[in-house]
Amino acid sequence: MTDPTSPAVRTEHVWKTFHQEAEEIHAVHDVTIEIARGEFTALAGPSGSGKTTLLNVIGGLTRPSKGRVWVAGRDLTEMSNPELARLRLEQVGFVFQAYNLLPVLTAMENAEFPMLLQGIDADERAARVGELFKRIGLDGMEGRRPGKLSGGQQQRVAVVRSVASKPALVLADEPTANLDSAASDALLDVMRELNEDLGVTFVFATHDTRVMERCRRLVRMVDGAIESDKVRS
Amino acid sequence: MAHLGVLATLAFRNLRRQLRRTILTASAMIIGGGTLMFSLSLGDGTHEEWIDSGVRMGSGHVTIEHPRFRSGRKLEDRLPAAARDAAEAVLRSPVVAEQVTIASAKLTVTGMASSAAGARPAQIMAVDPVTEAAFGTIDDQTVEGRYLEPDDRLAAYVGVTLAEALGLRLDSRLVLTAQDAQKEIAGQLVRVVGIYRSGVPEIDQSLIHMPLTTAGEWLGSGEDVTNIGILVADSAAVSGLVRTLRTELREPIAEGDAAVIGWREAMPELAAAVAIDDFGNYLVYGILFVIIGFGIVNTVLMSVMHRHREFGVLQALGLTPGQTGAVVLFEGLSLTAVSAVVGIALGAFLTWYFFGDGLDFSGMMDEEMTFSGVVIDPVIIPLFRPSRFAQSITFILFVGTVASIYPAIRAARIDVTESMKFDR
Ligand SMILES: Nc1ncnc2c1ncn2[C@@H]1O[C@H](COP(=O)(O)OP(=O)(O)OP(=O)(O)O)[C@@H](O)[C@H]1O
Ligand SMILES: [Mg+2]
Repeated sequence: MTDPTSPAVRTEHVWKTFHQEAEEIHAVHDVTIEIARGEFTALAGPSGSGKTTLLNVIGGLTRPSKGRVWVAGRDLTEMSNPELARLRLEQVGFVFQAYNLLPVLTAMENAEFPMLLQGIDADERAARVGELFKRIGLDGMEGRRPGKLSGGQQQRVAVVRSVASKPALVLADEPTANLDSAASDALLDVMRELNEDLGVTFVFATHDTRVMERCRRLVRMVDGAIESDKVRS
Repeated sequence: MAHLGVLATLAFRNLRRQLRRTILTASAMIIGGGTLMFSLSLGDGTHEEWIDSGVRMGSGHVTIEHPRFRSGRKLEDRLPAAARDAAEAVLRSPVVAEQVTIASAKLTVTGMASSAAGARPAQIMAVDPVTEAAFGTIDDQTVEGRYLEPDDRLAAYVGVTLAEALGLRLDSRLVLTAQDAQKEIAGQLVRVVGIYRSGVPEIDQSLIHMPLTTAGEWLGSGEDVTNIGILVADSAAVSGLVRTLRTELREPIAEGDAAVIGWREAMPELAAAVAIDDFGNYLVYGILFVIIGFGIVNTVLMSVMHRHREFGVLQALGLTPGQTGAVVLFEGLSLTAVSAVVGIALGAFLTWYFFGDGLDFSGMMDEEMTFSGVVIDPVIIPLFRPSRFAQSITFILFVGTVASIYPAIRAARIDVTESMKFDR
């Protein structure tokens, strides 16, 4: 059972250690963090500082070596692989750097894919996607395959897909890295708007200052650990 | 279960996207399925031919006889009238009559044939000339004279080797001796009306056909017979007919007076030959489909390798590893299913269209081919059995499933975080 009052994410002394040859790399180094619902947070830090790894741990894509993770109040550490898959389906939206979409599905089909898996009926799916497409400027693109969309449009479809299934949080790893500045701005505006209007929780991993500027909370990572955690007023 | 629809859509669209690869794999399957059907129908046609020749020379697809008759061939082990009546009633019933081509009741005894030139052991088969002519093939193998006719009384139809040994010609007289119903030795004078050559030495030197009515008087057995041989249109119907007859003949069977025996039991060496030949064919199909299977493994695996990122996305979105594997399995299976149906239909159609009237193998054989006492017709007519269609489709689906399992496991096991990495 998920608890709507619980934070979107909570981690407690999370470590992720990779073994490479004789060396141990602590990609995530004793991270304890809580992200409330409705936050718009960026994880920043130099390359290799563990942003992606932390995001993957939070999203249930990879298991921590030590420590515990709760998403929407549910403890991920105890879950089986199918349970983790279910949790991702119900509670986590993902937006990756690029090539997020399934090339054989249309924009509409991509956007409604998680809802299909959730068993939401066709009318409801169409209503949710239709509204989000309109809001986000994708009107009329429903029938296009990803190959016929610009990079920015593809990312926006990915955002609709991550949001439409009403997850507890959306994890976005460098969502703007493959976009030019205009497309980046447009995408970020859209996400900010979804956050403000619909209360969608976003967590970014990013190098992009444009992303950081728009975030209310900025978490800086160095060598897998949290160096600073600031909330802007 | 809305999942299944989505997964199927994904699978179909992916097949369409990889059109060249799909067509290539499908062609291999279609050719495989077509070859399978061609070869199965010819194999079944061949076997049907062997069986047909074998049972016509022997005791039929099904024989009803006394349980001891087979081993001793004695007149005392003949079929009681009750069993014969019951059997003939069943054979007349519409359902059974439909399957039965001909039933020939006969009396076979072991005896001697003697003439002025000497004496030889003989198998004396007393028959109804009309039904036996329809049942056996020996009436078509006359080299001199003619086969028995309904009005014949003291007539004999003998093999060439026996005729030579006893110095018999058309119209020659010979004496048949055998134990009669009273276990006394009895003799009967007959005249040669025809001489045949079957090509099978054992038959040509000993088998004599004579009218059943004459034999009944000679041996004091009246209308009794030692067996009723039955031919059916398709040997596949044999086991059903055997079961029906056994049910209907429950009483004589319980009393030990009758047995219903199918050709496999009556001619075990022929059954073994068919089984061995089938096995050889199955081995070839097995090898063929292992090769095709590897082709499928290869193409499906290639497509999995090229789509790592896609499977990563699917799992990130909440597909379980099992469901991810199912997408791949679905692709492999739908591809094989469609190809199997097309291949089998095409194979069967082309075989029927081009070779439906028979495929002549006589060019490949320099002499008449005999096979465990049976002369084989070199023209093989393909036989299409519904069960073969079902078996072939099941078999190809099985191959498709097995071939898709490994790629499916690979897709299920991909490392999601690894597949989502960019700078690689
Ligand atoms: N599968 C892995 N095996 C071994 N080491 C890994 C693995 N994944 C990540 N690492 C290491 O863990 C550290 C953190 O990597 P991570 O990708 O989380 O960094 P990041 O902050 O996202 O970097 P970037 O800004 O370049 O995306 C790096 O040193 C990386 O080399
Ligand atoms: Mg990263």
